[in-house]
Amino acid sequence: MEYTKQGKHTAEFIWIWTIIVLGFIYLPVVCDGISSLSKGRYFSFPIKRWALDWWAKTVSSMEIGEIVRNSLLIAFVVTILSTIIGFCGALAFARFNWRGRKLFQKLILLPIFFPQPVLGLALLLLFNTAGITLSWHTAVFAHLIWITPVVTLVIAIQVYGFDPTLEVAARDLGASKFRIFREITLPLLWPGIWSGMLFAFLLSWGNFSLSLYTTGVDNTVPKWLYTKMIAGYTPMVPTLGTLSTLVAAAVMIIGGLCVWAVRKKQGRA
Amino acid sequence: MEKAIMQKGRAPEEESATELAKEIKPGDTILDLVHVCRDFDKVKVIKDVSLQIKKDEFFTLVGPSGSGKTTILKMLAGMDQPTSGDIVLGGKSISTVPPDKRPTCMVFQFLALFPHMTVGENIEFPMKVKGIPGDKRCDRAYELMQLVSLPESYYKKNVMKCSGGERQRVAIARALAYDPEILLFDEPLSAIDAKLRKTLQKELKELHARSGKTFIYITHSLEEAMYMSDRVGVLCNGQLKQVGTPSEIYNHPVSRFVASFIGDTNIFKVGMTAAGSWACEDFPGMQIKVAPHGDDRDGYLVVRPENLRVMYEGAVPADNVISCHVRNAYSMGSRIQYQLMSGKKEIMLELTPRHDHGIKPGDTISLGWNADDAIFVTE
Repeated sequence: MEYTKQGKHTAEFIWIWTIIVLGFIYLPVVCDGISSLSKGRYFSFPIKRWALDWWAKTVSSMEIGEIVRNSLLIAFVVTILSTIIGFCGALAFARFNWRGRKLFQKLILLPIFFPQPVLGLALLLLFNTAGITLSWHTAVFAHLIWITPVVTLVIAIQVYGFDPTLEVAARDLGASKFRIFREITLPLLWPGIWSGMLFAFLLSWGNFSLSLYTTGVDNTVPKWLYTKMIAGYTPMVPTLGTLSTLVAAAVMIIGGLCVWAVRKKQGRA
Repeated sequence: MEKAIMQKGRAPEEESATELAKEIKPGDTILDLVHVCRDFDKVKVIKDVSLQIKKDEFFTLVGPSGSGKTTILKMLAGMDQPTSGDIVLGGKSISTVPPDKRPTCMVFQFLALFPHMTVGENIEFPMKVKGIPGDKRCDRAYELMQLVSLPESYYKKNVMKCSGGERQRVAIARALAYDPEILLFDEPLSAIDAKLRKTLQKELKELHARSGKTFIYITHSLEEAMYMSDRVGVLCNGQLKQVGTPSEIYNHPVSRFVASFIGDTNIFKVGMTAAGSWACEDFPGMQIKVAPHGDDRDGYLVVRPENLRVMYEGAVPADNVISCHVRNAYSMGSRIQYQLMSGKKEIMLELTPRHDHGIKPGDTISLGWNADDAIFVTE
């Protein structure tokens, strides 16, 4: 009796706490969304006149169209490259034993802890010295330095859970190395690769510090938001901010649905 | 079909290894291990093992963990190579032939089923690799499922949703789908509970008869080995101690190790006295009758617990009689095992419950055995 009563209070507390935490995290995003729905040029609260004017302006803006395209392009290229590099790296240190493997495992973690603005600045100096013109290409390179280690770790978790005996068994059943990779290894590592890709895309899409130093004349969404906030505020800032969050959420939901569909297909009864 | 395989650029040696294996007549030697040794970083894991395995037989290698049985199996499968010596199949060395080009297929200890595939896809995998068309694969998969007693409805079931025993059957069906001449089993029943294990052992023996393949099985349980096999090889520290039929191993063990591996047994150290009779230090002052065996070296008498008789009043006299104190009784269902002490020597006795003579812990009884019921070994 006593136990159930206590359990009930615990459950209530967990609910209240969850709501507080969620509110704390999502309130700024909601405020951002609300402020984009005001008709006024400047932000004031409470909102006097509601309108979708700024959304229309943002969506039809040529400038914004270009920076969204830039951000998507960078995120896309970074996702592809970091997944390929990360996949090979993860296989290398999670599946095979070689000299320096432990050291590699630690070295690959370092860029994650390196302060991004410092990393960005260092890269800027490097590009200048080497005489490389800054553009979205250099931003891709900068993103890769920081994102590839993350992707490698995410994929490595899946590789650690993979039973190498399956490959031995497939070989014993006559399969070639290429077939084993395509039909056994890759399908089983796919969830990890997929998570790695999602991480790569979202981290690149939202990255500001590295983009600030390395994009040159090409603008990205976070960088544009920052510039407009410090000079020349327009309600397009919260609008694009909300839009950016929605894109990220959409990517996550679509990604999640894909994983769910794959699981359902594999788990057919 | 043959053409399609050749076009895929398979090495000609695979054709010959498989063809060779098919041409060998049942009862003839299919695999010949010639002085096989395997070292790992200077540690000798397999020490000079020579062994002939006949086509169509159920051969089991048995030994405690670390005896090298898995290493031998891996060398037979092509996943490992001997350091010296040779593995010969039909007169041709196959020591360096890779696993995918041998007429062998392994059923792994943890089965290694492909978790992202259905039962049907798992079984069809080796046939798909060979380039057999889809409808033929499917027909054969259903045939094999019937052979290993899996219901047809399981074809589309995810393999991870099957129970332990069912997975076992899928693994065997998948191995058979490769159409190997030799099936290798790496203790696949060790992770299964005792009752199901007995059922699967029976099924495996039946399957061996029905499939007409050569089965090579490894296990650490001599009981399991004797239950299923035509012949058994006992392995200890990388050396083959004895090869023979289960009854040869049980009734004529060559050493104490082999004799005691089957389970609890009584071993008495005996030696010949100056007077030419046999004596045992466990039973001082007693003359032991030993069946003549033409060897006067010191040795050991192996007396199975079920070969000891209780010398109740009016019992048929026995060659050797000792007095014992009953310490404990362990019921094993169909049998009762008694732990007794004769002086400082522990003795095991096994009786059936209907003929237990009412023995209980604390009693003092006489036990006897005839010279012919004991086995003399020198090591």
